[in-house]
Amino acid sequence: MSPTTFHRIAAIGAVLATGAALTACSSSPAPGEDGSASEGSTTSKITFWDPYPQHKEGSAWDEHVKECAPDGATITRTSAPQTDLFNQLTSAVKEGNAPDIVVLDNPMMPSAVGAKLLATAEQAGISTDDVDENLLGPGVVDDVAYGVPFGSNALGLYYNADVLAAAGVDPASITDWDSLNAALAKVVAAGSKGITFSGVAGEEGVFQFLPWFWGAGADLEDISSENAVSAGQLISDWVGEGYAPKSVTTDNQSAAWDLFLTGEYGFAVNGSWFAAAASDADFATGVVPIPARDGGVAPVPTGGEFAVAPIQDDDASDHYANAAAVIDCLTSGDAAMKTAETLGYLSAKPDVRAQQVAENPLWGPWVSSVEGAEGRTTDLGGAYVDVSASLSEAIQGALNAAGDPAGVKAAFENASGY
Amino acid sequence: MSEVTATRALVTRGSRPPRGTRITRGSAPAGVRRRPHSTTWIALAFAAPLVAYLILFYAYPLVQNVIMSMHRFDRNTFVNGGAPFVGFDIYGEVASQPRFWPVVRQTAIFTIASLALQYVFGLTLAVFFHRAGFRLAAGLRALFLVPWLLPVIVSGTTWQWIMNADNGILNTFLGIFGVDPVWWLSTDTSLISVIIANVWLGIPFNLVILYSGLQNIPADLYEAASLDGASAWQQFWRVTMPLLKPVTLITLLLGLVYTLKVVDVIWIMTAGTGTSQTLATWSYGLAFGKGTSSVIRYSEASVVGTILLLVALVFGFIYIAVQRRQED
Repeated sequence: MSPTTFHRIAAIGAVLATGAALTACSSSPAPGEDGSASEGSTTSKITFWDPYPQHKEGSAWDEHVKECAPDGATITRTSAPQTDLFNQLTSAVKEGNAPDIVVLDNPMMPSAVGAKLLATAEQAGISTDDVDENLLGPGVVDDVAYGVPFGSNALGLYYNADVLAAAGVDPASITDWDSLNAALAKVVAAGSKGITFSGVAGEEGVFQFLPWFWGAGADLEDISSENAVSAGQLISDWVGEGYAPKSVTTDNQSAAWDLFLTGEYGFAVNGSWFAAAASDADFATGVVPIPARDGGVAPVPTGGEFAVAPIQDDDASDHYANAAAVIDCLTSGDAAMKTAETLGYLSAKPDVRAQQVAENPLWGPWVSSVEGAEGRTTDLGGAYVDVSASLSEAIQGALNAAGDPAGVKAAFENASGY
Repeated sequence: MSEVTATRALVTRGSRPPRGTRITRGSAPAGVRRRPHSTTWIALAFAAPLVAYLILFYAYPLVQNVIMSMHRFDRNTFVNGGAPFVGFDIYGEVASQPRFWPVVRQTAIFTIASLALQYVFGLTLAVFFHRAGFRLAAGLRALFLVPWLLPVIVSGTTWQWIMNADNGILNTFLGIFGVDPVWWLSTDTSLISVIIANVWLGIPFNLVILYSGLQNIPADLYEAASLDGASAWQQFWRVTMPLLKPVTLITLLLGLVYTLKVVDVIWIMTAGTGTSQTLATWSYGLAFGKGTSSVIRYSEASVVGTILLLVALVFGFIYIAVQRRQED
């Protein structure tokens, strides 16, 4: 062959060989060394990751976290949306430079534990006393606790009191699906729009759908059951009849809330973190628990995040001591109350919760929902994420079917794979 | 004696060089040994940063991607190591997903429709600006570049609002002509919606490159053609199009490689749901746990990425072959 061709082939070969060699060089890291918070001491720089980018620097939550630094230490706080935060945590533990404390969404806990990303609560000196069982559930894997929840939010059915009054609907009469549909029909007939909710692809849409799913008696173990299909039919009919806007397939909860704040909608399915915003709206609002299909209150999924300590490679005991100090500060005494109020959650500890309700009447309607909330991952553990993905596919298919029963049934039966 | 000496001298002078000189091939002067020029080392030094960059940011990720597609990774083995080698099993699993062939078909439709429409509209506008030549052309041309200059998050979100089924301006506009509102972002029609947005985004690129290609065609060819009695249409097909062939080829190839990778505009508008799922958006969703599933499927994402790479590579080779045939 000619010298030029030879040189070309040699160059390509050298480049690929170097690439392969580099890949071989990146050795897999060893699992984190064992450590314990009691054996370490706090360091001067503490890193704190949370999924609240809406609480910017200088906000109430930001100040509250930084005040919880032990003497002589400073806390650096970084925020990212839920899934991104989890991905960044994965990379950080792989590289060996994970932060001291991470606040992780509760359905991600079994996946994080399965990937050996987290230290146990005992190791990290995190106290899980006085926390409600149902709220602690997602963080307990194989009878070992891995973190402590700050609190929970819950989903409820907000209503626009002015629109309902104009349509002649009594919110107290909404006790099951039939009465809800009748109320929606009345509201739309009176000239307003019906209901907003979030059906976006992903965990947020599934979170919003679960009260209807569980309220129909369906189980996450089998998402193609008749009860599951009936829940899908409910929301699909809303889109088909025009009670809900077609943008539900791409709206997240924030966008759905913005639609409700326009004052044109009668109802909104949204979370307790908007309770304060609801009382400040231009129109009178109220909230009722989400009804189950045949009467009663539908179980809602536990919202909220867990404070956890990631696995560390070097100086693990010191990092765990940092985690113990900061998390203890955020979840005990007066600070626990402040944590819950700033985030808009109902505390995971019953006595703090009672104090919250006593001081702020806004929380009254939400207590029963939070106490009856079910963990998404408590039964399924690590298998939940796959079920959630399939359920999200089913929800998207049902919403797009816009009321067509065959389409809804097919959506729930065919939802699988990736 | 003198005769023999003379003969010996003749023989000596003609047949052998005098002592002390060394014979070398080539044009090296006598006494100089051949060794690498200093310019070779300088050339290597200049190329070294580029080579290092290429190895680090192209070769290493490429090799890592292929290696990842042949090991079964999950979050645990990604962090802690120990992913088993499975050869081409995952390729088989991805190809047997019910979603695989529809996604490939949707990618093909998205790419071909985008390229064709972008090219046709870009060429029409380029010819218009080339022939029109009136003074407003410069200002209009600048306006037509706006889709190219806007950040995609702005254009994507705006198109999502325009195509809102209940109160988007596109449905209102169609309503003037008595057309029923269309649910643009539903699963069935999302492919058409993202094609429309992507065509709008891609017209300026085609316009700019084809316009400069048109300007390189000498005007006297058109004069000669019209003298021979060719109509405007015939001039376009017989003069313009053949001479635009190299520019067309490069535009289509660049457009193809770019369109195959498009994730941003599709993701902003529909999050890759329904028929708007292409190989690129599928790979993105799998790699980062976005879309319906928050599970990161490292190996499956690498497989889809590798497939996409092979498709682009095939078209690259086709382009090189066509170009070589053109030169011959």
